[in-house]
Amino acid sequence: MIIELKNIDKSFGEKEVLKGVSFTAKGGRAFGLLGRNGAGKTTIIRILMNVFPSNGGQVLIDGNLIDYNTVSFGYLPEERGLYPKKKIFDQLLYFAELKGMDKKDAIKSIEYWLERLEMQEYRNKRLDTLSKGNQQKIQLITAIAHNPDIVILDEPFSGLDPVNAMLLKDVVKEQIRNGKIVLFSSHQMSYIEEFCDDIAIIHNGKVALTGDLIEIKRNYPRNKLVVRSKDNDKIKALYNATDISELDILITLQNAEEKASVIKDLAEKFDIDEIKVFEPSLNDIFVEYAGDKE
Amino acid sequence: MKQFDKILKFELKNYFTNKVFVGITVFLMAIIMIVMCFPRFSAIFVTEDDGGVVESRPTMIVTGENADFVKQMFEQAFTGYQVVCSTESQEQIKQKIMEGQVECAFVLDSLTSYNYLVNNLSMYDTNTAIANEVLQNAYRLYAMVYFGLTEEQASQILTEQISSQTINLGKDQVQNFFYTYIMIFALYMVILLYGQMVASNVATEKSSRAMELLVTSAKPLSMMFGKILASCIAGFIQLVAIFGSALLFFNLNKTYWADNMIINSIFNMPFDLFLYMLLFFVLGFLIYACLFGAVGSMASKLEDINTTAMPIQMLFIAGFLVVMTSMAGGEVDTLLMKVCSFIPFTSPMAMFTRIAMSTVPAIEIIISIVILMVSVVGFGILSAKIYRVGVLLYGTPPKFSAIIKAIKKS
Repeated sequence: MIIELKNIDKSFGEKEVLKGVSFTAKGGRAFGLLGRNGAGKTTIIRILMNVFPSNGGQVLIDGNLIDYNTVSFGYLPEERGLYPKKKIFDQLLYFAELKGMDKKDAIKSIEYWLERLEMQEYRNKRLDTLSKGNQQKIQLITAIAHNPDIVILDEPFSGLDPVNAMLLKDVVKEQIRNGKIVLFSSHQMSYIEEFCDDIAIIHNGKVALTGDLIEIKRNYPRNKLVVRSKDNDKIKALYNATDISELDILITLQNAEEKASVIKDLAEKFDIDEIKVFEPSLNDIFVEYAGDKE
Repeated sequence: MKQFDKILKFELKNYFTNKVFVGITVFLMAIIMIVMCFPRFSAIFVTEDDGGVVESRPTMIVTGENADFVKQMFEQAFTGYQVVCSTESQEQIKQKIMEGQVECAFVLDSLTSYNYLVNNLSMYDTNTAIANEVLQNAYRLYAMVYFGLTEEQASQILTEQISSQTINLGKDQVQNFFYTYIMIFALYMVILLYGQMVASNVATEKSSRAMELLVTSAKPLSMMFGKILASCIAGFIQLVAIFGSALLFFNLNKTYWADNMIINSIFNMPFDLFLYMLLFFVLGFLIYACLFGAVGSMASKLEDINTTAMPIQMLFIAGFLVVMTSMAGGEVDTLLMKVCSFIPFTSPMAMFTRIAMSTVPAIEIIISIVILMVSVVGFGILSAKIYRVGVLLYGTPPKFSAIIKAIKKS
């Protein structure tokens, strides 16, 4: 299954929130939706899930206009919340049934997930008696119990301890392996880097960058050198370099071809401990595309 | 439709598993039971009293001129007192009254003039009025006999009764007043209570952020009308339980209530009026519940409801006051009431009151009901639109103009 957003526009009153957003997410691969606060991620998710219509553009599934009666979504919203005063099992059942499951299947599935996420003992407790992390696990069940085609997880790892984060990772990986489209929205770049094959960086309502994460990294201009030396200050003065840590400085070259000669130069003139070509992290890419540089 | 069904069931279950809701219903049913069985219990005590206690009535002294002549008449008129004649001085009698041995005393100067002695004159003391009548009759009797009539002739003249019969061609306001009053009051309570509940349910879903998940799981229309219908059904069941138990216990104790006109008139409500009551009740409830649902969707926090729901409550209370004042004044066909009986927000109360307590042309009733029905649908659609926009808005409740704009856009 492939889901494709084509030129999605959306305004609220005078404010243009999305301007021609397009990207493609494929089944069996995780897709990371990145962007700063207020970039328009939640609006994209809501349009995708038909909470409200877009002003322009299309959502396509395998090339055809999406039919919301045949495609099912699972959603873990960033603002977590269920009914705090109600029994956990009752509300899980309610949401599963709202998603169109019949009662028998819903009960079976909820039992499975409670077991899987080690939450069986809480099934008859009220939600507000649970810790934040456990509440989050319950919320996750509402997103996946009905076996949706597309799973949308907004900041799924926030508030989880390392053991629970591990448990969630396994579940997410399993969803991906099962061929589902998993859409991540997160500010925690390490998780996106770990899971996502494709990303889209949303900035000011536009797609600033989208594609295969490995490709993006590979195509990142290799014109930067990380240098560690006792003579950092001298090198900085000579090459107009900047500090990137206490020990390392970063030299940005006009073009990548200069690399060899600059490295040779540095090795001859200074006492160099270490020198390497700069490999950007997703964080660096994000800051570059979603920062306030313009 | 399936979703609507699920939401309705879920919301209904919320009501019927809510301990406060069940508790209040059972409590009210118990109160009704006690009230309805009260004459039966008190009848038991009264018969026991008659056997045991010798004399518990307070004492009334009659003294002065003609005291012996009027004593028998006083005894007939003041059945609640033990009437005794006394030859003691006024001072001694005063002393007895102050000490509480005697409750009150009539010191007669003549048949047309007396002093009434009492310690702490009660607001509801009618003894002098009764005494006036007794003495007036005694004086007339005395005078007639003096001028030559026999005592029998004089008594007959004085006790002659006028026979009369009222033929009512329209409604009997006295009889209809009480159930109209009860119905208006029930409508008032239920709409405010359940309306508030609908609004706070929606606001709670928003503030707990369950809404984030709900909007992606169900259509706003199903969500809102599921809630409204559930509260309507819950309110209705509660009323049926309360009034049903009242009817049940009334019938069980019917013989004990035989003398009570008010209670009898309530339970002998004409069937067509009962149907009108149901109709106006349901329509009135729905139109307000829609508005309360929309108001709830505009609130981010539960506390916001108090301010956002104020205009609706004001509107409703204004209607209630108009109807209540007209009822109390006995004039339910005033221009104001006529206007109110066509405005959808006041017509459930105003039109029902007019139907119950006056004679309203059929065409007016039909027009009022049609306007109300159309308004229920209209406000239902409008509220659903507000709801759809409102549930995703957080922060300070938006201005009315902003809502209208957003609805037009959507």
